[in-house]
Amino acid sequence: MGHGTPEWVFIGVVTAILIWVGAESWQVEHSLEYAPPNSETVRVIGQQWFWSFQHADGTQEINELHVKQGVPYRFEIVSNDVIHSFNIPDFAILMDAVPGRVNTMWNIFDETGEYLIECREYCGMLHMDMRARLFVEPNTENSTSSTSSTESEPTISQGTGTATIVSPGGSEVGSTGTGTMRVVEPGNLTQTPSGGTANGSGDTSSNGTSGDNATSGATAGGPSLSIPAGASTPGNPSYSPATLTVSKGDVITVSNDDTAPHTVTNGASPSDADAGKLFDTSIIMPAATATIDTASLEAGEHPFHCTVHPFMTGSLTVQ
Amino acid sequence: MVLELKKPRPLWEIIFSTHHTDIGLLYIIASMVALFAGGGLAMAIRAELFLPGLQVFSGQADFSRFFTVHGTTLLFLWLIPFAAGVGNYLVPIMVRYKDMAWPKLNAVAFWMIPPCMILIWAGFSDTTWNAYPPYSILKAPGPAADMWIVGLKILGLSSVLGAINFTVTMLKMKHPDLPLMKMSLFCWATLVTSMMIIVAIPTFAASLVMLYTDRLGVTGFFNAEMGGDPIAYQHLFWFTFHPEVYIFTLPAIGMMYEIIPTFSRKPLFSYYSGVIALVVIAVIGFGSWAHHMFAVGMSFTEKTVFMVGTLAAVPSSAMHVFNFLATMWGGRIKFAAPMLFAVGGILLFFSAGAGGVVNTAMPLDFLTHDSYWVVGHMHLFIMGTISFGFFGFIYYLFPMITGRMYNTKLANIHFVLLFVGAVLVFGVQHILGLYGMPRRVVDYLPIPELIIMNQIATFGGWMMGAGMAIFLYNMIKSTMFGKLADTKDPFGLGTGVEYYYDYARREPHH
Ligand code: HEM
Ligand SMILES: [Cu+2]
Repeated sequence: MGHGTPEWVFIGVVTAILIWVGAESWQVEHSLEYAPPNSETVRVIGQQWFWSFQHADGTQEINELHVKQGVPYRFEIVSNDVIHSFNIPDFAILMDAVPGRVNTMWNIFDETGEYLIECREYCGMLHMDMRARLFVEPNTENSTSSTSSTESEPTISQGTGTATIVSPGGSEVGSTGTGTMRVVEPGNLTQTPSGGTANGSGDTSSNGTSGDNATSGATAGGPSLSIPAGASTPGNPSYSPATLTVSKGDVITVSNDDTAPHTVTNGASPSDADAGKLFDTSIIMPAATATIDTASLEAGEHPFHCTVHPFMTGSLTVQ
Repeated sequence: MVLELKKPRPLWEIIFSTHHTDIGLLYIIASMVALFAGGGLAMAIRAELFLPGLQVFSGQADFSRFFTVHGTTLLFLWLIPFAAGVGNYLVPIMVRYKDMAWPKLNAVAFWMIPPCMILIWAGFSDTTWNAYPPYSILKAPGPAADMWIVGLKILGLSSVLGAINFTVTMLKMKHPDLPLMKMSLFCWATLVTSMMIIVAIPTFAASLVMLYTDRLGVTGFFNAEMGGDPIAYQHLFWFTFHPEVYIFTLPAIGMMYEIIPTFSRKPLFSYYSGVIALVVIAVIGFGSWAHHMFAVGMSFTEKTVFMVGTLAAVPSSAMHVFNFLATMWGGRIKFAAPMLFAVGGILLFFSAGAGGVVNTAMPLDFLTHDSYWVVGHMHLFIMGTISFGFFGFIYYLFPMITGRMYNTKLANIHFVLLFVGAVLVFGVQHILGLYGMPRRVVDYLPIPELIIMNQIATFGGWMMGAGMAIFLYNMIKSTMFGKLADTKDPFGLGTGVEYYYDYARREPHH
């Protein structure tokens, strides 16, 4: 072993590099580990195959997360079924959502804009579509920090007690397009479908468990479509009736009587080219209802499906 | 001197044989069947990802089945049986014993593999090769997932039986004149691998049983709704499978230790350094498993411990690389196919190791974890390093097994296509990961960068596919019609030193 010296030098260099990598990582990770005490908590719920977000004041969003620039947020990440992974690539946020656990991660969003939220842990049939959007908005006023930024276009105003959300457009809830936003008061979930041309503004329905439902007259008396209990298991009836015939202009009331979230989305499957373009209720939570306005639909047959459970299909005939 | 080929023996004599070279040959053939079957699935996967949207597959469900069976097949039915096959062929020869310690057990261990192959392929499970609960226990469709579990269970048993056999053969049956510290490094690699198998596999075997009873609903070990913990499975899984990555790797390293000094026409730089690096990794390799789990919500202390554990395992890999390079330094190197694959493998080994260090640096893992980066990392090891070592060794052993020579021109083309292909696919996959592309997705966002990189990767994948087709053709053609090999010096190194294996030993009852 007379020729050992070069090898020792080599091992020494490698070890030194590794120690440097380890020390740097330790330091960075340590500084990221503990959330500042004034962080706002957002509960992130992963579920096959969408994300929902609960703000500290009780407001809830689905597949959209609105946060304010410069405010520290502490995410409590949980799952309702299998393991998901909450990932915002642009901010290097990554944390598994594990059933039975609450994982936390925190971040300060320093750039306004719209960012991708995705699922990084394989979770089944629609894993690749389990995406949501993050909106980082300029900080106008908030309760955690006394400084307010200069320019303020009204974006989100959060009342402390009563939870109302006004979307970035200022006027209409859900005006951002295909996503959904909803207003939740504890125990009462009001949902506004959005996006498709079929959704007239103001078609709002509530779940009927509390006193102040029936905000829209459209829900009374029209045709109705039900999603029966057990629909999320392949093989069970998915929509009742499976083929629904209405006259143009009717407003269909969709009620979710199952324990899983569902949608009624036009197209035979999620891969249809124009899936969701004609009508899309977005996610309807269990025991909630939504509406489909058929005023803008052409006469004829329109297949529909559930984006969460693509094996659930049905068809709507407009006369 | 060209040896006369004996009349070929009837097939049934090989199939029902318990002789170590026959079993070795069966292992090698079975592993190559798996290699081409699993590789075919990869071609379909890459074709799908050529464009966003759905092309080849009807949706994520079929795609998931393909990548699950692809991964399972290549890890457990290609890497493990191939290493066992070469070990069978050479270990008894190298330790100068007439056969493996228990020839019948050896045959049993081999014959457990084909049923597993059938189970895994007939089931076509979609659990991913990790089979993380609760997905695998609550959602994964049966009977596919159950067949996968039973298949792996039998495979684990087969590995353990084989490993016990190797260990006893080397420690108890080796020739009395051969001290342990004179045993070839290939034997050392096999010995260390066998011991790691014996320690590592039972943990996964136990968790497979738990997975199965959880699927039946009688237990809830990993089911949070029944008070279990899905993360417990991940600890058990990686306690087996982080060491397992060395179980895959060390045989390839052992093969490189055979090839590199030979084709450098120079003695190995340091035998001791090789032995030490092998033994050290076998111990330290057990202290880093949770580096696969930084994002499951571990405490800061846990993360730190497993980062340090992982970093501590790196120098021994670096020692092998150094040993190889120092051996080649100043040698009269002949770049025949075995050497090309060995050297190419070392280059890729080095880059893959650097990527591994990035993975284990805690904050950076939150960029790379479960993205295409990890796919690139593992493939750079599994295909780029380990399989390169194996391909090199197939060429090296070819004259010994068949008595003939392979077509050297085709072998060189095979190498070029594989090397360039590997750099393209696996290199680009690292970058895709940094762009945030998650692994295991059938569809991705139609962003120009993602599309272009996926197309480069698919192109590289097809290059590798073409290379493998040439390889298959070469193997079949040369086995039947290749020109007879010089059994003393098949590669024409002309060193005058006897380096090649005793050709007569391959026939039983010689
Ligand atoms: C220098 C040595 C190595 C280091 C530092 C290293 C580090 C890592 C780390 C930290 C991960 C986790 C990445 C993540 O999921 O976020 C990983 C994944 C992986 N590594 Fe390595 N690794 C090394 C060598 C190897 C070798 C020799 C193999 C041989 C097969 C290997 C195979 C794998 C596989 C298969 C995975 C991915 C497993 C999965 O999630 O499916 N690694 N490696
Ligand atoms: Cu590992």
